[in-house]
Amino acid sequence: MVDPLTTRRIAHRALYLGLALVVMFLRLLPVTPMSHGIPGPDLVLALTLAWVLRRPDYVPAWLIVGVFLLEDVMYWQPIGLWTLVVLGSTEFLRAREEATRDLNFLFEMALVAGVMAAMLVVNRMVLGLAVVEQPPLGLELLRLLMTLAAYPFVVALSALGFGLKRAALGELDAHGHRI
Amino acid sequence: MARDRDDQDYLGPLRRIGIAALVLVLAASFLVWRIDSTRVERFRNAFIDRFVPTFDWAMVPVTKALGIVEGFQSYARIVAQNQELRRELQQMKAWKEAAVQLEQQNAKLLAQNQVRLDPKLTSVSGVVLADSGSPFRQSVLLNVGSRDGVVDGWATMDGLGLVGRISGVGRATSRVVLLTDSSSRIPVTIQPSGQHAILTGDNTPFPLLDFLEHPEQVRPGDRVISSGDGGVFPASLLVGQVLQGQDRRLRVRLSADYERLDFLRVLRSHPAEQLRDAGPLIPPAPAEVAAEGGNG
Repeated sequence: MVDPLTTRRIAHRALYLGLALVVMFLRLLPVTPMSHGIPGPDLVLALTLAWVLRRPDYVPAWLIVGVFLLEDVMYWQPIGLWTLVVLGSTEFLRAREEATRDLNFLFEMALVAGVMAAMLVVNRMVLGLAVVEQPPLGLELLRLLMTLAAYPFVVALSALGFGLKRAALGELDAHGHRI
Repeated sequence: MARDRDDQDYLGPLRRIGIAALVLVLAASFLVWRIDSTRVERFRNAFIDRFVPTFDWAMVPVTKALGIVEGFQSYARIVAQNQELRRELQQMKAWKEAAVQLEQQNAKLLAQNQVRLDPKLTSVSGVVLADSGSPFRQSVLLNVGSRDGVVDGWATMDGLGLVGRISGVGRATSRVVLLTDSSSRIPVTIQPSGQHAILTGDNTPFPLLDFLEHPEQVRPGDRVISSGDGGVFPASLLVGQVLQGQDRRLRVRLSADYERLDFLRVLRSHPAEQLRDAGPLIPPAPAEVAAEGGNG
């Protein structure tokens, strides 16, 4: 019998993949509520960052890479670059997940905002170096703000809907390991 | 801070290698995309072709639902449009009313245009040769004269109103003394009160109304037309409108455009018939009497 920890982990990974696919599917639908010049929030990114900061083991790097590569391919973005940036930032956050456990939510928001801004800057820098046409900066900034605004809701949904909480300091999992 | 999980001890470095491999693959894919864009785009298109239609089963109900919603929205729009059209129709009716009234007015004016005041009233048109206006004499020179049958004392008009009176005729030219000249005196009637007055020029743009019997019956804005008194001037030619000057005296704003006197019409007026006898009983003509007698 599979132990409950692994079950939960697999279930949550599937949930993450499912949520990402649903968001992508909704974006693919012929109805775009925010098509009038205002870009919608990047919900998949917010979800990924939120989950990485809570349960990094639910969102392994390969899953993130898979989801974002799919997004790159689907949305006519430069293939691989945004995924690379996301991978870098999630690894950065993953390494600090334990250290940031006792931060309150405002600090977490600030951290996420800083990471997102850095992601945007790195992405645009590389694109600029590679002489690729870029979307207007204003739109991207607006999208970043929208994502930030959506972040608390994503966190709330994850916490209330899927029981995703930050592990307390020294919290143990079912096997007596530290999380 | 190293995790002291038993599986982390060997998973850590392995994981690091995996991450490095992922980074390499991604960087390579970006480079390939950048270098050989067309092939990667073709791959992307092929992928989307494969991938997106698999969502069809999910998209169908959503698109159907959206279609239904749009249908209802279009119904709502139709209602709104209907109301708007009704409003516009209302406005159109108002405009139509206005148009009908204007048409009637136009017809009336056209009919008035057909009216000949006096069949004898024909005109000679002339061009103003010289405008000899000065502070003392207000007159213009026309290029019609005795050669064209112009006679002293005839009235001249521009397109709209009375301009003046012929005073001095040469063979090919004639002089018109304007109504504003200080020697100009014209008998006029003020409508609608029917007051008679003399229009007296005083070298200002607005000649005076003199010899009014009841000045209190005259209002600014009343029409002033020539009265034909004295038999020199034809009657009922438009002169202008009553105007009260700053000195409280009644003056006339002339209808003729004195700023631009180009073509003037000289009206041929014929001396009015004079009634000489006291009017005895008029006997029937002898021929009629004879005819009646033959019948009876």
